[in-house]
Amino acid sequence: MSHSLHRRGTAESLSHDYILLVTAAAGINAAGSKDKLRRVLDVVWEVGPVNTGSNEVGTILSGVSIEEIKAGFTEIPRVRCVFDSADKMREVIRRLLEMDLGISVTVSGPRLEIEKICAEFGIKPHSVNLSLDIWGKKNELPEEEILEFITMCGHGMISRSLVVDCIEKVKAGRLTPEQAAVRMGSPCVCGFYNPTRAIPMLQKYVPAEKH
Amino acid sequence: MVVDQEKCIGCGICTVYCPADAIRLVTVDGKRKAEIDQDACLECGTCIRSRVVKCPRGAIYELPKEERSMGRQMRRFFSDPSTAHPRTGVPGRGTEEVKTNDVTGRVCRGELGLCLEMGRPALGTSVREIEKATMHLARCGIVLEDCNPLTDLIEDITTGKFREEYLDERFVSAIIEFRIPFERGEEILNVIRDIAAEIDTVFSLDMITCYDEDGTLPGLELCRSLGISVRDNCKVNLGVGRPYKIERQD
Ligand code: SF4
Ligand code: SF4
Repeated sequence: MSHSLHRRGTAESLSHDYILLVTAAAGINAAGSKDKLRRVLDVVWEVGPVNTGSNEVGTILSGVSIEEIKAGFTEIPRVRCVFDSADKMREVIRRLLEMDLGISVTVSGPRLEIEKICAEFGIKPHSVNLSLDIWGKKNELPEEEILEFITMCGHGMISRSLVVDCIEKVKAGRLTPEQAAVRMGSPCVCGFYNPTRAIPMLQKYVPAEKH
Repeated sequence: MVVDQEKCIGCGICTVYCPADAIRLVTVDGKRKAEIDQDACLECGTCIRSRVVKCPRGAIYELPKEERSMGRQMRRFFSDPSTAHPRTGVPGRGTEEVKTNDVTGRVCRGELGLCLEMGRPALGTSVREIEKATMHLARCGIVLEDCNPLTDLIEDITTGKFREEYLDERFVSAIIEFRIPFERGEEILNVIRDIAAEIDTVFSLDMITCYDEDGTLPGLELCRSLGISVRDNCKVNLGVGRPYKIERQD
């Protein structure tokens, strides 16, 4: 599924939000690819993702180690990492091109910037999954400020109540934006949630006397 | 999920984590206890993840498989991202869509891939709402992606009708996936507008489109011409997988 798609927020905020997905294809090139994907995780880890994880074991944000994530790879292994800048993503792509593994690489983020990076490396991207936004009974959705947090977990594991609770605690001075950003992200088991992006989104709730 | 009320001390830590607002604190014999509303619980698994909800008593648990109905097991498949459905073999609620499209050729040039992610974001969906969409699409002769967990719940693929026993089940989200020739794009997007007006929930809409040789995206141009908003952030398959496939030969 497209759980890194449909993230909401301002263009400025989303310019700090890139997700790398390296995915072996079942029945095509997945056989024997576990070690390749382990190498990929080692290489991209050096670039400094702000979150990573796997459905099988959980995320670094909730205390899982890279070794546990690698050990938990299934027969159809996948690497997912979130980066907070286009420059880091550019470096990751450079390294992956150097490795030349023949495994599919997909990047979620601002389209024009990703296309620009592709052009710099002389890559012709294959296809794109576009987000055509939300349809239907939109009046029942939480407010946009809440949706911006919720949509960082495409599986819908970050509840509206948890976001509201974290915001209230920041407002009351009981959590710092940094603490709230970590707490809010813990239910996202794939590691797609971007804590670095969440911090400035929470800073506006800090009571004036704390600034 | 259920709460072992013998163990629960009513601390309330768990309540805010539930995406379905299914966990409430109630008073039992004068003591505060957590209780899970079984109709509301979507079996997403969040409350039993010890790294997430740090229940001091480990009081939340899942009934053994033989005590769970098929419907509850389906809730789990569609709601808990850590479960892999036997049909797809991958965790999550659909196929690998664009993520491996450069080698699977699931959507090639001259085609569009469309996904209605029912219930996403935040509201969830019943199977009844999903059925409204699949029946609309079936009337247009749309063939749904077979490699999707929904296939097992459908009674008749030609009508889009689901099996009666699942209609009232609810999931965090479920993905209706299909591929069409590019020429049918405008017609089907108009059908999707009708679906949006009829359903009692929301869906997030995805469109997969291949880059043409000159780097243009026909799907993007189509959306623009129909006044459909396309968000700036998307998911790009870089095309480095092998063996490479972008033209449909079969
Ligand atoms: S399994 Fe998910 S939906 Fe059910 S009570 Fe736990 S957190 Fe809520
Ligand atoms: S976290 Fe555990 S002990 Fe606390 S209310 Fe929930 S079930 Fe009860």
